[in-house]
Amino acid sequence: MRSGIWPPLALGAGLIAVWEIYVRLAGIDALLLPPPSAVVRYLAENAAVLASNGAATLSELLLGFSIGVVIGLSLGILMQIWRWFREAAYPWLVATQMVPIPAVAPILVLWFGFTIVPKAATVALMSFFPVAVNTVDGLSSLNPELVRLLRTFGAGPWKVMRMAAFPAALPRIFSGVRVAMALSVVGAVVGEWVGSTHGLGYLMLHFENRGETAGLFATVAVLTVMGIILFFLVGWVEDWAISWRRHLKETL
Amino acid sequence: MITDAMAMRVRGVARTYRDRTQTVTALEGTDMDVPEGRFVTIVGPSACGKSTLLNLFCGLDKPDAGSIETPALGSGELLGRVGYMPQQDLLMPWRTVTDNAAVGLECLGCDREQARQRAREHMARFGLEGFELSYPGQLSGGMRQRVAMLRTFLCGRRINLLDEPFGKLDAMTRASMQTWLLDYWQENRCTIVFVTHDIDEALFLSDVVHLMSPRPGRILRSLEVDVARPRKYGEVVTSVHFNELKACLLESLGRSP
Repeated sequence: MRSGIWPPLALGAGLIAVWEIYVRLAGIDALLLPPPSAVVRYLAENAAVLASNGAATLSELLLGFSIGVVIGLSLGILMQIWRWFREAAYPWLVATQMVPIPAVAPILVLWFGFTIVPKAATVALMSFFPVAVNTVDGLSSLNPELVRLLRTFGAGPWKVMRMAAFPAALPRIFSGVRVAMALSVVGAVVGEWVGSTHGLGYLMLHFENRGETAGLFATVAVLTVMGIILFFLVGWVEDWAISWRRHLKETL
Repeated sequence: MITDAMAMRVRGVARTYRDRTQTVTALEGTDMDVPEGRFVTIVGPSACGKSTLLNLFCGLDKPDAGSIETPALGSGELLGRVGYMPQQDLLMPWRTVTDNAAVGLECLGCDREQARQRAREHMARFGLEGFELSYPGQLSGGMRQRVAMLRTFLCGRRINLLDEPFGKLDAMTRASMQTWLLDYWQENRCTIVFVTHDIDEALFLSDVVHLMSPRPGRILRSLEVDVARPRKYGEVVTSVHFNELKACLLESLGRSP
């Protein structure tokens, strides 16, 4: 991730060039596979539409993601401090992930209508789980000797949680948050597919029905770039929050 | 004979651990006196119950039988009132040297900035000057141990338990740390109960050495180390008297069943 932005860009440019040349030389129908140049043209000509729909998707995604992270963290902490709750709730949390989201999403639309709520709820439903699981795993992997030491200093359970367990669990928690972010992108689009009047997922269906393959590709491109930027933003926050990790491997 | 006031009086302390498959008697009828302001060492072979004893002394564990009185501290719960330094340094990799040293004070309810300030004041004395903002991952083993020791001593407890603090250090670092610890203790008198499996270390550091038997642990012999202070490492460990004391302990250990 740290080797710079150029290798992935160069690889991407190379693949796009191969795609363009192939489509042109083989004379593929643009309805089946449009050349990248047509997609780029579409992007440029419809920037405003894509931007406004992208903004809609982004707000659903961020709302749902934030709710998912908060719920995931809370559940993780509760499961750690309250053993009974952990044993009782864990199978049910797993169950929420076994229910197919495309089956749940229509029900959410039924309940909440064509608003932001069912989309954010879909995103939250998908993103809370990796955060909860990683939080409880991270918290419970704390060295018990450290807990004992802190107790001899007179620390109670909350101080142990705040001073030791939580900071020690942060790397694990962020692994969960990164997965949650990736799932959120999928969640937002699935939420829109089921019932919406705007958003990138809505645009995809729209283009698909009208056979505008270039538009479909352009929408996917916008969604992908958005997802990548969000994912790396999480990584950036992580590096900031766990800045001590940089010093782990150094020795005198 | 030592006639000082007692920091700790241990009588008939026993501790047995049970789980589904086995019963392990870690301690059996242990008696021990820890005079106030003295350096007392418990020495014994691995797994003889030394660490069990320290766990009881700091209140992390309770004896099955017997009593631990602490006239110096009065009666009541020991946990949170006796200083303890475990074998592992247990430094938090996300905290700087200063913030790690301040952990104990913070737990005691000290304001964070105030705790840091107190830690900074002691950096030079603990040989950590210039490393205040380093992270534990950047330190050598000896330095990590000094941070851990500072963390314990900063709490200002009257009784401090040190569990094999130099166990993982190489011999030369170990000798210099021992000398350093004695110097520090000379300046800041407190009662120290030190645990080690190294007889040389025990004799060099202590006023009194309690020798423990292999499991089930009990005190085989208590020996007063009548060597004048301040002690110089090279002089003391090569002296005839030191070797007589050492022979005494080895003989007691050899006679145990």
